[in-house]
Amino acid sequence: MSRIFVTGMGMVSAIGNSIADNRHALMQGTSGISKPQFFSSKYSDIPMGEVKTDTESLREELGAWEQGVTRTMLLALKAFKEAIEDAEISFSSLTDETTSLVNASTVGGMCLTDELYNDANKHSNGSEFLASYDTASVSLYLQARYGLKGIINTINTACSSSANAILYGARLIKSGIARRAIVGGVDSLAKFTVNGFNALHILSSGICSPFDEQRNGLNLGEGAAFLILEREEDLHGKKVYAELTGYGNANDAYHPSSLSPNGDGPYLAMKKAVDCLPAGASMIDLINAHGTGTENNDEVESRAMLRLFKSPPAFVSTKAATGHTLGAAGAIEAAYAVLNLHHQEVYASLNFKQPISSTGLTPVLNYEKAALKNVMSNSFGFGGNCTSLIFSKV
Amino acid sequence: MLYIHDTTCISPQQTLGDIDIKHLKSADGNKMMALEPSYQNIPTPVLRRMGKAVRMSVGAAMPLLQHFKPDGLIIGTANGGMEDCIKFLNQIIVYEEGMLTPGNFVQSTPNAIASQISLLSANTAYNITHVHRGLAFENAILDAIMLLKEYPDRGFLVGGVDEISSYNYNIDNLEGWYKKETVNNTSLYLTGSPGTIAGEGAAMFLVKATSAGAIARLRGIAMLHTTDENQVLAGLEAFSNKYLLPGERIDLLLSGENGDSRHLKFYEICEGFLGSKTAVGRFKHMSGEYPTASAFAVWLACTIIQKKSAPAQILKSPPTASAITNILIYNNFKGNQHSFILLSC
Repeated sequence: MSRIFVTGMGMVSAIGNSIADNRHALMQGTSGISKPQFFSSKYSDIPMGEVKTDTESLREELGAWEQGVTRTMLLALKAFKEAIEDAEISFSSLTDETTSLVNASTVGGMCLTDELYNDANKHSNGSEFLASYDTASVSLYLQARYGLKGIINTINTACSSSANAILYGARLIKSGIARRAIVGGVDSLAKFTVNGFNALHILSSGICSPFDEQRNGLNLGEGAAFLILEREEDLHGKKVYAELTGYGNANDAYHPSSLSPNGDGPYLAMKKAVDCLPAGASMIDLINAHGTGTENNDEVESRAMLRLFKSPPAFVSTKAATGHTLGAAGAIEAAYAVLNLHHQEVYASLNFKQPISSTGLTPVLNYEKAALKNVMSNSFGFGGNCTSLIFSKV
Repeated sequence: MLYIHDTTCISPQQTLGDIDIKHLKSADGNKMMALEPSYQNIPTPVLRRMGKAVRMSVGAAMPLLQHFKPDGLIIGTANGGMEDCIKFLNQIIVYEEGMLTPGNFVQSTPNAIASQISLLSANTAYNITHVHRGLAFENAILDAIMLLKEYPDRGFLVGGVDEISSYNYNIDNLEGWYKKETVNNTSLYLTGSPGTIAGEGAAMFLVKATSAGAIARLRGIAMLHTTDENQVLAGLEAFSNKYLLPGERIDLLLSGENGDSRHLKFYEICEGFLGSKTAVGRFKHMSGEYPTASAFAVWLACTIIQKKSAPAQILKSPPTASAITNILIYNNFKGNQHSFILLSC
C-alpha cells in the first residue's frame, strides 16, 4: 500500500487568511477571538473566532459570482485554491478521475438562517440559496467550479468531520481508488450553532481557556482548511510537508452530547492511531488536542491521554486562538500539526493558568523550537464521533 | 468484494417483517410516507425523543444487530433529522434567539443516526456519516468496500436513510423538484411533466467479504457528477467493461426513473445501451424520490434475488422477468449526481 504525503495546504481562520498568516499568528501567540464584526446575532457580544473578511470582499477576491454562493462556500474556495496552488496541481491532474475531493461541514449553507427560515416555511417564492443549504452544497460547488471528476464526498460527524474527511481521503488512496485526494473541511458562524451551543450552556463568555481548572466553555469559530494528499510514487521530487502515518476512528457510545467519564471513544481513537506506528504511543512527540475549553471535553480528553500514554507527551490546544471551528477544526488542526513538523516548532496553548485538579496536566505555554518526529491531532464530536490523526516528519 | 448477508428496510411499502413487494401501496398528495413499525425494541422514553430519520434507522438496524456485532457503522444520509433541524431554526427566529431547549439541536445533526445506533448497541467501533446528497449512500457503500478489502474477516453495518420533513419538501418544491399537479404514485410514470413525488425510508445492510450464507454480491459501484447524458452513457460503458465478464449481461436494470420528464433522457440512454435482452424495472413509485433512494433499490434487488423473480408491478418492459442473476441499479439525483451499482446472486 502507498505511503501518503501532504504536498499542499490552504487555510482561512480567525488568525489569518493563509497558511503563512496562520503560522505567523501561532508563533506570536495571537488569538483571533473577539466580538464578531460581520456575524449578526443576539449573541454578538460573546467572543467568537470570526474570519476577518466580510462575505462580499471574499466573493470579489475570488471572483465567485455564481448564483447561491454562501460564505461557507467562499471560505472553502479560498482554502481550496491556496492548497491546490501550493501543491502545484495542474489542471489536467485536478480534473483527472483519480483526483478525489472529500470535504466536511456541519453547517453548510445554514449560516443563512433567515433565508432558510423563509424558504423552509414557504414565506418566500424561493431565494437563490435553495440548493445551497445542505452540507454537500460546498463540495458540489467546488466540483462544478473546477470540473472535478474523481470520487467526491461530504462527511458530517459533527466536530470530528474534517478529521474523518482526511482519514477517508487517505483510505481512497490506499485502496487504489484515488491517486491524490483534496481533503478538509469548512464551517462558518451561524445562528444555528451559536444558539445550539448556547442552549447546551457550553459557550464561554470570554476567550476560552483549554485544559484550565477554571475553564467555562468554548468559543465558536469559523474557517476552512484543505490538505493535498499524494502517493509516494507520484511525488517525483516535489515539495513535501509531512507524511500521514496513522489514523483511528471510534465511537464513545455513551451520550449524544457529552463524552464518557473515562473517555472510551477518545482513548480508542488515539489507540487505533498509535497502533499504526511501529512502536506505538511512545513515538508521539506532541498532541494537538481537541481541547475545546468545555468542562466535559478537557477533563475526559486528559483522562484518555493519561490512560494511553501514562505520562502524556507535550500537548496544546489551539482553540483559544481560532475558536472551535466545528466541521473545519480537524483539518485546521491537522494543518497545524503539519506546520509543527515542517518547521520543527510548537505553538503555545493560550489562556492557561492552572491545571485541572483531577488530572494535573499542563499544556505547552510558550512558542518553542523542538525536535518533532510524530504529531497527533485529536477531534471529538457530538454523537461520540472521535478521530485521531498522526503526521510524521519527512 | 462485498457480500450482503442480511438486510432490512422501512419504506412506504410493506418491506419490514411480512414483506410484500407484489402489491403496491398507493399514496396521494405527492408525498410517500414510510410505514413505520411499532418499534418494540426501542425503549419508549428514547423513542419519544427521536426524530423520524433516527427512529426509522434504529428501527431498521436493531433487528440486524441482535445476533451480530459489526466492526463499524456506516450511514449515508443527505439530511439526517431535517425536521428537528428546522424546528430548532424556527425557534431561533420565533423566540428571537431566546432561551431554547437543545433537544432538537442535538437530534438535528446527521451523525445522530449512526451515533444512536452505536449507543443502543454499545458499539464503539468505526462510526461515520456520509452526507454527499444524492451519493451519500453510495459513498457509504464505497467506504464498506474499502474496509472489507483491508479487513476481509470483519463485518459492517451500512445504511441509507432520509426523511420527508415539511421543510425539505418546501425547499425542494420551491426549486421545482416536485410535481405542481397532485399525482398518485400508481401513475407516476404517466404524467409527462417535470417534477417527481417525495419519499423516505431507511434501508440497512450487514456486509462481509465472505460469500457463505450471503443474499447477494455487490460487484461494483461507480459515481458520476455530470448533467450530460452522453457522459452517463460513457460511464455505463466503462462500468460494464470493468465489472462484467465477457459474454455476461445484465438481466434486470433497476432504473431510478422518477416521473420527471426532464430526467427521462438519462434513464432512456441507459436502457438503450443495455438493449432488449435486459428487462427494465422501476422503483420510485414504491419509494418516492429522496437522496438515498438507491438504498431502497439495493434492498429491492436483494429481495428480487432472494425470491428469484421480479414482481410485475415494477416491470416497465417486458412484463415478466425470471432467472435473474445480474441486476444493475442506475440512479440519478436532481440530474447531476449519478450512480451505477451491480448486484449478483
